[in-house]
Amino acid sequence: MGRPSVTPAQRYGADVDFELDSAQQAWLSEVREFLAQNVTDELRAEIADHGLEYPDGEVVAFRRKVGAKGWFGLNWPAEYGGLGLGAVYQHLLMREFEYWGVPGPDLTVTSVAPMIMRHGTEQNKSEFLPPIARGELTCAVGYSEPDAGTDLASLRTRAVRDGDEWVITGSKIWNSGAQRATHEWLCVRTDPDAPRHRGISVIMVPIDRPGIEIRPLYAWSGYRTNEVFFSDVRVPATNLIGELNHGWAYITGALDLERGALTNAGDLHRALSDLVALACQPRRDGTVPADNASFRRRLARAEADVEVALLMGYEASSLLDSGVIPTVEVSVEKIFTSELRQRIADLALDLLGPDGLLAHRTADAPADGYFERLYRVAPLMRFGGGTNEVLRDVIAQRGHGMPSYGR
Amino acid sequence: MRLIPDSDERDLASMARGLLAKECRPGERVSEGLWKALSDTGILGLGVPVDYCGSAGALDDVGVFCAEAGRALCPTLVHSTLLATFAINTFGTEAQRERWLPPLTSGVLRATTALWNPRDAAVVMPVLRAESGAVGWRVGGAADFVLDADLADVIVVPASVPSGKAMGFVVALDDPSVTLEPLAMMGGYQAFRVTFDNAAADPAATFDTEALRRVGNAWVSLLSLDLVGVGEGVLARTVEYTTLRHQFGRPIASFQAAQHLVANMHIALSAARLAARSGIFWIAKGRLAIRETAVARMQAATAAKLITLDAHQLHGGMGYVTETDLHLWSERARVLSTLGGGADVAAGWLEDEMGLTGRGTECQPTA
Repeated sequence: MGRPSVTPAQRYGADVDFELDSAQQAWLSEVREFLAQNVTDELRAEIADHGLEYPDGEVVAFRRKVGAKGWFGLNWPAEYGGLGLGAVYQHLLMREFEYWGVPGPDLTVTSVAPMIMRHGTEQNKSEFLPPIARGELTCAVGYSEPDAGTDLASLRTRAVRDGDEWVITGSKIWNSGAQRATHEWLCVRTDPDAPRHRGISVIMVPIDRPGIEIRPLYAWSGYRTNEVFFSDVRVPATNLIGELNHGWAYITGALDLERGALTNAGDLHRALSDLVALACQPRRDGTVPADNASFRRRLARAEADVEVALLMGYEASSLLDSGVIPTVEVSVEKIFTSELRQRIADLALDLLGPDGLLAHRTADAPADGYFERLYRVAPLMRFGGGTNEVLRDVIAQRGHGMPSYGR
Repeated sequence: MRLIPDSDERDLASMARGLLAKECRPGERVSEGLWKALSDTGILGLGVPVDYCGSAGALDDVGVFCAEAGRALCPTLVHSTLLATFAINTFGTEAQRERWLPPLTSGVLRATTALWNPRDAAVVMPVLRAESGAVGWRVGGAADFVLDADLADVIVVPASVPSGKAMGFVVALDDPSVTLEPLAMMGGYQAFRVTFDNAAADPAATFDTEALRRVGNAWVSLLSLDLVGVGEGVLARTVEYTTLRHQFGRPIASFQAAQHLVANMHIALSAARLAARSGIFWIAKGRLAIRETAVARMQAATAAKLITLDAHQLHGGMGYVTETDLHLWSERARVLSTLGGGADVAAGWLEDEMGLTGRGTECQPTA
């Protein structure tokens, strides 16, 4: 035949691996066991009563237990007090927490801390990272302003240097969690004369400084967010993160991580499992949704998409483990999961009929009204964390080199 | 768990890509040059032990090749031959593997298959029957929509034997008792109704229902990867075209409407790639993988049609004229996303897996 004794096809081969290794499997079991033991009826009741707010009580006690396991710093290097585990491990934990509907490591841990590790000064690192790891320092993320939302680079909140201090004036909106955070991870303009992406810095602002006013805004889902006003707020000059006027790179890096953290499909997996179970039970009029072929077909389509969403989470964390910030991949994942969440909520209310309209936490509501509320929750994920429209631009421009049109 | 291809896999893909770019020409359903190259490089032996003149490895290696095959419009006779090889390698006895694998992996024999209902690869009740007589096994009956039966030397088929079980056979297609009626499909894809009038047959595998489902799932997952390759190739050339084509004094790639079509193509392709790779991975691991196969087919069939049709939209008239060849990928997307079952058929497999069917009260009108 004239073939070489060892053919090229014999030397090369597929090496992608969809199976968790034994250490990852053990980790998943450990996380599930922890959740089985610590997600109590009392904790569930408090989360349901307060929507997405977590005042002192069961949630705080739960967070302490998570902190005691060292899981807030699970993917940080050991030198910063972390466990040094990879992104796949963090993804598995976040996904399981989402599946159980309990708060896991928040943005402070998943996106603020990594930016401090990557770009912060030595003082930033020693001052802020240990209390973040202990769960004592939590940040509200101050990016958007009333006139700078999707067009974030036009933000106007100013920080002016005065001796050893920064003096901050302006306002932020969609400042979720400010009512319980200890700090603002605040994005400010430090050079008004520079091109708009170049005059931005990030400053860590203790939330109890004089001149800060927090005003609640309540969303359609029942979720509380805030508008926060800064009037001549003074913080030490050393609270500037990293280098002056380099903030744009830090916040876009943090946003990529935030999208990755926000977009795991654990809640979708749970929601669809619950919905399939509901579809096989009689509604109030005695009819069963799964007897209807079109509902079965829509459930199967949603299932095929949830399976993919779970794989996208693995893909993004695999990339993170290989040292890449997967900007395009997490944009894909964020768009895919947020639009899927809306489809599942709509399917649920179609499938349940009038039963599905029974409001969240009211008598006789199927699944305690979870899907009624999901219909109101889901729009947030589609425009929040970077609108899906801007992220489609990101995929086209960063992923395929298509030209910017001047956004 | 690691979903990023490493250098070994990229080397296999790039070797296959180079070979196919050189040897595949639109409209050519087979060529000696292609077959020699596939044999010389060991691609025909992917997933087959070295003892049978194979290249070792597993079915996911064949998957890497198939994604390149879609990009290059590789003739489907190659896929059929690789599948026949997988079926005999997995379900043949040692003697049967000894007999059939070396000629298949070395390119001496080209094969097609008729292993399931071409409308639904989950329907695996044999349509042929076989009996053993004084001169060996004979097969009778007819199989529909058999790809490339005019070019293949042999066909692998299941047939029910008098005991009621199914066995796998190899039948030579030049046997005078085998007749072919052409079924000319869209895009020059050529299938046949193949009638066996007591044709001589050699036992080649032990096929129970699960074995046939597994081979069917392998086919569906491999073709899903081919569709991923179709999508990758078409997406790349579409982006290139929109960047070169100027209207209103700027590249049409700079319009947000065009960018969002491209982004949607990219998202659908990401979903299809992950799903199809997962399907082939688990089948290669020895699982039946009905769930993963259904998801792969649903995602890949949907993505390949979306990508090719939106590519036509972005190319406008420049992609509608046949000299640009864009339609060749669009036809491949349509044909390969149909054979064995499209997205709706696959959704039915998934409904079964989810426990939604078989509840006894089917398909009532909406309440």
